Amino acid sequence: MKRTVAAVLVLGAAALLSACASSGPKFSEMATSMSVSKPEMGRIYFYRTTVLGAAVQPDVRLNGEVVGKAVPHGFFYADRPAGNYQVATETEVERKLTFTLDAGQVRYVRLNISMGFFVGHVYGELVDEAKGQAEIVDMRYVGAPVPKP
Amino acid sequence: MSVARARRTVLGVIVALVTACAPTVVQEATQLTPVSGKTFRLTRAVTVPLSTGYSTTLRAGTRWDLVGTVAQGEVYRTKDQIVTVEGAHIHEGFIVVSQGTMVGFYLPVERTFAPVTPAVPLSIEP
Repeated sequence: MKRTVAAVLVLGAAALLSACASSGPKFSEMATSMSVSKPEMGRIYFYRTTVLGAAVQPDVRLNGEVVGKAVPHGFFYADRPAGNYQVATETEVERKLTFTLDAGQVRYVRLNISMGFFVGHVYGELVDEAKGQAEIVDMRYVGAPVPKP
Repeated sequence: MSVARARRTVLGVIVALVTACAPTVVQEATQLTPVSGKTFRLTRAVTVPLSTGYSTTLRAGTRWDLVGTVAQGEVYRTKDQIVTVEGAHIHEGFIVVSQGTMVGFYLPVERTFAPVTPAVPLSIEP
């Protein structure tokens, strides 16, 4: 009986996690259709590798503007002119990440989750290009529809 | 509930609260004067402890370029690694060097200086 209950719980958890995870095309499948449109712009990729705390999917704000959601195994991106940027996520507390963006530069922001008092805290971490490129490959697109060229 | 159990519960709550709420990075207002033309390579990795309880590691072999000066020293930036200063929030940082030691970080978005105490000696070459 105990085994049956455990199996049901595991299956239920798996179903919940898969329901919360992303279902768009993989980064590797979209790479060719995502070139930066203008040379004076930089690009910021956002991605979340972990399904830990999968139900916690706060909005991701870039300089106050909502640009996406922190969806497990998902990624999205924003093209912006060179300048100073602040990424903010909020659950029971607000966590901020600040960084600069140069023209033509690509930044990778990994969305992590840490323990909170009642709810996990999702926060952005700036990672270097090599690590970002390696980690984002299997993430699935969860951003706005990409205009076709 | 026994006294011991109540104490453990309270302790657990305190630990949870402490880990959930890291202190903010101490910052001082400063003004960057853009300057360029100097560079150095870090020959040994250095781990810089922060007052927030986190630390930042500067990797060996990274090249640092002068981008300006502040009252506290010269400000250098690298393209070889990501440098962040972490507390309640995370800030990209450039390093501030004075007389061969790293005395703090310049936070380019906030335009502030975050001191490192004590200053950290750097092993560098041109």
